[in-house]
Amino acid sequence: MAKIDLSNISHTYNPKDLEPTYALNPFSMTWENGKRYAILGPSGCGKTTMLNIVSGLIKPTQGRILFDNKDVTSQKTETRNISQVFQFPVIYNTMSVYDNLAFPLKCRDFEKNKIEERVQSVSETLNLSSFLNMPARKLTADQKQLISLGRGLVREDVAAVLMDEPLTVIDPDLKFRLRRNLKEINEEYKTTLVYVTHDQNEAMTFADNIIVMDQGEIVQVGLPKDLFERPKTTFVGYFIGSPAMNLFGTQLHTDNSVKINDTIIKTNTNLSKLKNNNIKLGIRSEFVKVAKDESENLVEVNIQKIEDFGNFKLLTTKMGQLTIKSKINREIEIANDKVKLHFPPEKCCVYQNNKLI
Amino acid sequence: MNFKHKYVFLFPGLFVLIGILIFPIIFTIRLSLSGWNSYTPEMNFIGITNYIRLFTDDPRFWESFFRLSFLSVTTVILQYIIGFALALIVWREIKFKRFFRVIFLIPMMTTPVIMTVIWRTFFHESLGPVNDLLGNLGVKPILWLSDPVIAKFTVIIVEVWQWTPFMFLLLLAGLLSLPKEPFLAAAIDGASPFRKFVYVTFPLMAPISIGAIIIRLIEASKIMDTVFVLTSGGPGTATETSSFYIYIKGLREFQMGYAATLSFTYLVIMIISLTIIAKVLTKLMIKE
Repeated sequence: MAKIDLSNISHTYNPKDLEPTYALNPFSMTWENGKRYAILGPSGCGKTTMLNIVSGLIKPTQGRILFDNKDVTSQKTETRNISQVFQFPVIYNTMSVYDNLAFPLKCRDFEKNKIEERVQSVSETLNLSSFLNMPARKLTADQKQLISLGRGLVREDVAAVLMDEPLTVIDPDLKFRLRRNLKEINEEYKTTLVYVTHDQNEAMTFADNIIVMDQGEIVQVGLPKDLFERPKTTFVGYFIGSPAMNLFGTQLHTDNSVKINDTIIKTNTNLSKLKNNNIKLGIRSEFVKVAKDESENLVEVNIQKIEDFGNFKLLTTKMGQLTIKSKINREIEIANDKVKLHFPPEKCCVYQNNKLI
Repeated sequence: MNFKHKYVFLFPGLFVLIGILIFPIIFTIRLSLSGWNSYTPEMNFIGITNYIRLFTDDPRFWESFFRLSFLSVTTVILQYIIGFALALIVWREIKFKRFFRVIFLIPMMTTPVIMTVIWRTFFHESLGPVNDLLGNLGVKPILWLSDPVIAKFTVIIVEVWQWTPFMFLLLLAGLLSLPKEPFLAAAIDGASPFRKFVYVTFPLMAPISIGAIIIRLIEASKIMDTVFVLTSGGPGTATETSSFYIYIKGLREFQMGYAATLSFTYLVIMIISLTIIAKVLTKLMIKE
């Protein structure tokens, strides 16, 4: 267990080119001891590169990595005390489940009693106790993934357990249980867990802190709630949440309001210092409501589609050319083709050049 | 698919298949039931007389067969071990990797018969450079080609030299196609190079290894040119292999009927034994 500092790290896979393309642009970040982090982003955004830099499988083109203030940048993976779980289960086919779990300890010449004790403890946590004597290759894909995970957890001294989309092969029901399990493990052993995923639900339910990445850039680091309610860029707004955030091109109106077509929308943001170009208004479909007795921030729309998702209804509406989506309570009956939607000012986010004001 | 003219399109392929495979086998079977030799060069019918002769009165064939088994198994095992080692060396990031990859392939690109002539010159007991060099080191001349036991090992040396590159090539292709993750995981688990090889590389390479070993066994069991040029089966019959013996019976003594019997029996034994070997290897090496 350790505090991990990533200091001014960047990486390119073609450093010899005249104009190298960066898989990771320079960034600095600290991962606190014992916390759960999720790295979230679309495929090819540099998540795995970042993970491999921490585990030492890749040496960064630039920058330093510190574990508890000790520089490990040029240390090999073997000596870094890190553990990594890959997208697809990696097990030692010729060994039993027990030997698989014991392998990292055997390689480090632990005593037999200690190995036995650790393997027992980890196998209980992961519900693998009854399979210990079975050949590992006979297990199902998700059990195999548990073994991979177990090999990471069996060492008490690991600085962090890094997981690269580890639950891809596991069915949804078990996924939920395992995520909870991971949380418990984190609370019990105080192991730093870093979890790479492109699934926002996974990231939201798992992590204390979410790191959102796009095209080699860290776009936002924060709590799930912040990412959801105050996305720092339009990308985060678009990427997190389902459906994506409603975003409209707007004109500035007053110091705290904007104009969409002819409709004036008040916000709680001070807009006095902004120039009137490339302004967008963003609001989550969860916060767009059918108006009852509100008198301002009302938008008159035509209903295009009503989809019933069981626990909510999704309204797809049009205001001129703009599409507005709204998640509403499924008990609400919509009788007309036209309704008025209400945008609560405190939930409206204003962006200039795709960055939150 | 119900397509009327499919046989028209299949015909060229079938024709070649029948011409080069089915017909020769059937013809060989028929020939093996005849007494065709230089005195009576005709396709008469003598029943299974040739087979009775083979199984009751021809120890030389069986000796040559067991000799062949020994030679092919030994050479293939050596080729596998050396080929695997070489493949592992150039699989890693080493300097001049490409250069070594090409160098290791050179023996395979040479003409076997010509190379064997060169080897024969090397091993010539009084004029060859090998004994000359050994003599400088104080070693007595070794009877590379005329001692019944040593001659077998000379054949093995030449075969291993000639065909290890093929094994190397197959195994290197296999190594390069392996997934990265198991090796990364082993590195993270802190496995030593030895453990990595035993628990990761070797199990992952098992299917490819079996393929390579079987291909080489099939090739090695046809061993003929090396023996023909190097020792002509001698001294005596000390290095005579099945194919060489069949060649002697058929194309030197012109006992065509009997040679066909030997060929067909040899074919059946090879099919059965290679099937068994493949099964056993699969069972031993692949744990699925």
